[in-house]
Amino acid sequence: MTIVIPEVDLGKCNGCGDCVELCPAGIVAVVNGKATIVRPEDCDYCTDCETFCSSGAIKCPFEIILVKDEGS
Amino acid sequence: MTSSDNFLKSLPYFAALNSEQIERLKKDIVELSFPRGELLFLEGEPCRGLYVVKSGQIRIFKSSPEGREQVLLIAGPGDSFNDVPVFDGGPNPASGSALKPATVYLIPKEKLLSLLADCPTGLNIIRQFARRLRQMTALVEDLSFRNVVSRLAKTLLDLAVVEGGPSPVRRLTQDEMAAMIGTVRDVVGRALRTLEKKGAIKMEGQRIIITDPKILRQLI
Repeated sequence: MTIVIPEVDLGKCNGCGDCVELCPAGIVAVVNGKATIVRPEDCDYCTDCETFCSSGAIKCPFEIILVKDEGS
Repeated sequence: MTSSDNFLKSLPYFAALNSEQIERLKKDIVELSFPRGELLFLEGEPCRGLYVVKSGQIRIFKSSPEGREQVLLIAGPGDSFNDVPVFDGGPNPASGSALKPATVYLIPKEKLLSLLADCPTGLNIIRQFARRLRQMTALVEDLSFRNVVSRLAKTLLDLAVVEGGPSPVRRLTQDEMAAMIGTVRDVVGRALRTLEKKGAIKMEGQRIIITDPKILRQLI
């Protein structure tokens, strides 16, 4: 399955590093002044980075999917 | 011009009609009187037409299955109501009852639509506005009668599509879901966990998978 990771808007990111501190999986780093997901395979999509990003630069969109074998 | 002619001419709907057109319109208008508390029509029933208050007051309201009510409008003399179903062709979106003894004019749907017969584009535009207004009325109902878990359950059911199906899969952040159901992100997070505990959905990475739509429907 394709790994989906939080989306970082580099234009909005101010490189404050809050996401680096708060990511429970420790997969975010500030690279060249911008938040970067450096170990995407370890991201469990907890959305903490989105919650605490003060500049609104990180988005964690969810896909809303209906299982195929639904009865009605 | 009679007083009823002047009254009709004073209504925004008919201000542009000439005396002859007002005369023709009057032939189809039905005058109805209601004692206090009497129902004019019920939500979900087929629409008879547009109502205009001649005297008294009419209460337009939505009801929840538990019997709670949300008033949408108190219509007084000169106010019209039940406009939406006249133009979008659907059932009455709300119920109406007399708040005070009232006399109303009922303008049959077909008569009103016939005034627009020469302008199908205008009718299409109004129809589109009416659909939007019906959606907004439904939103008022959701916000008034449903709690957050219930509103989220409804939104997930409305937005969910089968993966690989003809419709594209919607992608929404928790902030966007919060904005749609009139709450904040933290509350959406808790509501999603509640739905997961109930076995209605499964959170799998960036996917919210609706595993049991029946549970969601029961919550609405």
